[in-house]
Amino acid sequence: MNYLPDQNWDVIVIGTGIGGGTVGRALAEAGKKVLFVEKGPRGHRRERTPLSHDIFVPEARLARGLWPARMRGIVNGKESHFFGPLGSGLGGSSTFYAATLERPAPHDLDDSAACPHPGGAWPVSYAEFEPYLSRAEALFHVSGTPDPLSPPPSRELSAPHGMNDVDKLISRRLQKAGMTPYHLHSAIRRLEDCEECLGIKCPRACKMDGRSAGVEPALATGNAELLDCTEITRLESEAGKITGLVARRAGEILTLSAPVVVLAGGAFGTPRLCLASTSEAHPNGIANASGLVGRGLMFHLNEMLAVWPGLKGDAPSKSVGLRDFLCKDGMRLGMVQSMGINASYGEILHYLRQRLGRSRLGGSRLLQEAARLPASLAAILLGEAKIFVGLMEDFPYDENRVLPTDTDEIVFEYRTSTELHKRRKVFRKALRTAFRGQRHLLLSGAPELNYGHPSGTMRFGDDPASSVLRADGRTHDLSNLYVADASFMPSSMGVNPSLTIAAQALRVSEAILQRGSDG
Amino acid sequence: MADPTNKLLSGACVVTGAGSGLGRSLARRLAQSGAIVAALGRQMQPLEETASGHRNITPFRCDVSDPVALEGAFADLRRVIGPVSILINNAAVYPKRDIFDESQKSFMDTVAINLGGTFGATRLALDDMTDAGFGRIMNVATFADIAPLPASSAYSVSKGAARILSRALQADLADRFPNIVITDWLPGMLDTQMGIQGGVNPDDAAVWGTTLALMDDPSLNGATFEMNREIPPPRSLKKKLKDKLLFRTPPAPRQL
Repeated sequence: MNYLPDQNWDVIVIGTGIGGGTVGRALAEAGKKVLFVEKGPRGHRRERTPLSHDIFVPEARLARGLWPARMRGIVNGKESHFFGPLGSGLGGSSTFYAATLERPAPHDLDDSAACPHPGGAWPVSYAEFEPYLSRAEALFHVSGTPDPLSPPPSRELSAPHGMNDVDKLISRRLQKAGMTPYHLHSAIRRLEDCEECLGIKCPRACKMDGRSAGVEPALATGNAELLDCTEITRLESEAGKITGLVARRAGEILTLSAPVVVLAGGAFGTPRLCLASTSEAHPNGIANASGLVGRGLMFHLNEMLAVWPGLKGDAPSKSVGLRDFLCKDGMRLGMVQSMGINASYGEILHYLRQRLGRSRLGGSRLLQEAARLPASLAAILLGEAKIFVGLMEDFPYDENRVLPTDTDEIVFEYRTSTELHKRRKVFRKALRTAFRGQRHLLLSGAPELNYGHPSGTMRFGDDPASSVLRADGRTHDLSNLYVADASFMPSSMGVNPSLTIAAQALRVSEAILQRGSDG
Repeated sequence: MADPTNKLLSGACVVTGAGSGLGRSLARRLAQSGAIVAALGRQMQPLEETASGHRNITPFRCDVSDPVALEGAFADLRRVIGPVSILINNAAVYPKRDIFDESQKSFMDTVAINLGGTFGATRLALDDMTDAGFGRIMNVATFADIAPLPASSAYSVSKGAARILSRALQADLADRFPNIVITDWLPGMLDTQMGIQGGVNPDDAAVWGTTLALMDDPSLNGATFEMNREIPPPRSLKKKLKDKLLFRTPPAPRQL
């Protein structure tokens, strides 16, 4: 094989998560020569590595496909350091994800009087976007039942595997409380002996992610190659075009180039790279004439809920979803879903500790130990709890942003707005109403940001003054630079982002193919 | 007595130091239990003796302290038998030398076999085991590091370090490959050339060793067995107290 960096590539895709994997696959299947560049390693196909926050040696984290460094979050002015749920290896963060591939609702993209859009509508309407959601669902083998409250998908979903008794019971009780639960949409194929690799790398092509549904099928076409352990440190441009990518591989500096470059390093990685690529022509970084690169950072707000169905057996609730308060009285809230885990003693303990950690007394080890006893008591009295999460939509604010660093440390600033606290109150009340009639407990204390769902830091739009990307994912500023990851989203939606990222990646691939044929 | 459902029996079972003593007994017992054994040792003749009368034992000449030889032997045995699914790190030397008779060179020669050979064979076996997603590594170990005997410096140090290696492998592998199961086994004082007169017959010890090596059980990862029973990990006084307070009972040690 020739030395990969020197070959003639049609497209270089930086990052191999949901977005990068999907765009690269679509391009390779259309006959384009695609080079995937991944900061982390290819990894071992049979490994079952969990998303771990216990491993802190950077080299050991990278070897496992985990982002090597801690994040530094400045939330409401308070700084904290922690390992985010971020990947850095083939498949990116998606190899660790729970593969919940939910569709957005029409109002997540469109503005309406009944549910006003936080930043104005997306530059693409739901009707235009919908066929790409269906295509992404096919690529990722998504199964589930349609949400009765949303318009039916244009292509029928694969039938789900059926709910277990726990899910059936919880669903019945939700229905009794006036809710409309459905079977969550999952990209786990449930091959024989499926272990449902939630939160761990799947050792087979059973869980569909950026690796199994993206890069691997792309490589199988023979049109694509993967350059792993290679970090792009800088984008170079001339006359409105990207001319070179400066990369670091095993301590050496090399330069890559291709007629088209797609950034897919995620809502942290992509703006970090653009902001780091300063030059005389671009003192604020590349693709940043608007000054908005890195800004508009959104997460979801996690509202964790323990439900005790009072059933014997230890099957977790895996597949219940409900969207009854995606938009409640004109207020954007979010969807609710099973997390597929039981709250054993350890998990309840973890939550109590997290809450303690945030309180003023949190530093005390004694108090942390003391949390053990009530937690074990709760576990004995109540049995195993089933954990649900409500994902509340976060709105874009330009002061919430990712900052560039010249190390692996990811730094961001974020403030919770009054509007968010107000919606959260309504959301929590709605959650309690939904689960009335079954024993439940809201676990989250202070607002809990979902660092696994960052978005919005390179938002798309029609106006170059108020957005970074065009509707087709190309940057306003550079004619051959595209973005295909969660950073394009101008609003965070009330559902999991992965399917939408994949759908937009398909739109980006189409734009690249069309312009290619136009010359 | 072969269990056709045991996936560990699907590949090659490598026994190092199989030309004599416990290694020979283990190779034979494993072969009788359905394993396809690659018997590694420094001299061909004793290996052939190990294999004689046993259909499932193939000898491969190899000095485990020599990385090139070890790599060659693994390439050969993969070609002849297939990928490695079980590795028994048994090869070791115990030169009884007073410290004044030990040189840096002689000391490191012992380390190269007892520690280097264990690492080398493990590293090569892991290539196959990570491809398969499962495997079994059993390290024949001792407590020689706890209270070193006189004239045993190189042995005590290298065997003690080999036990640390087992723990280091846990740190590197247990989360990623929970089905590659690594266990230390202390066979006890054996009646072999390396052991003592009147010790346990190596054929008897090999019965325990074989049972342990063929157990396909991820919970054995990181476990230590002495002869036929598990040595639970040491618990600090604080941990014991905490367990008492929380009415937690530690699991009972397992018996083979």
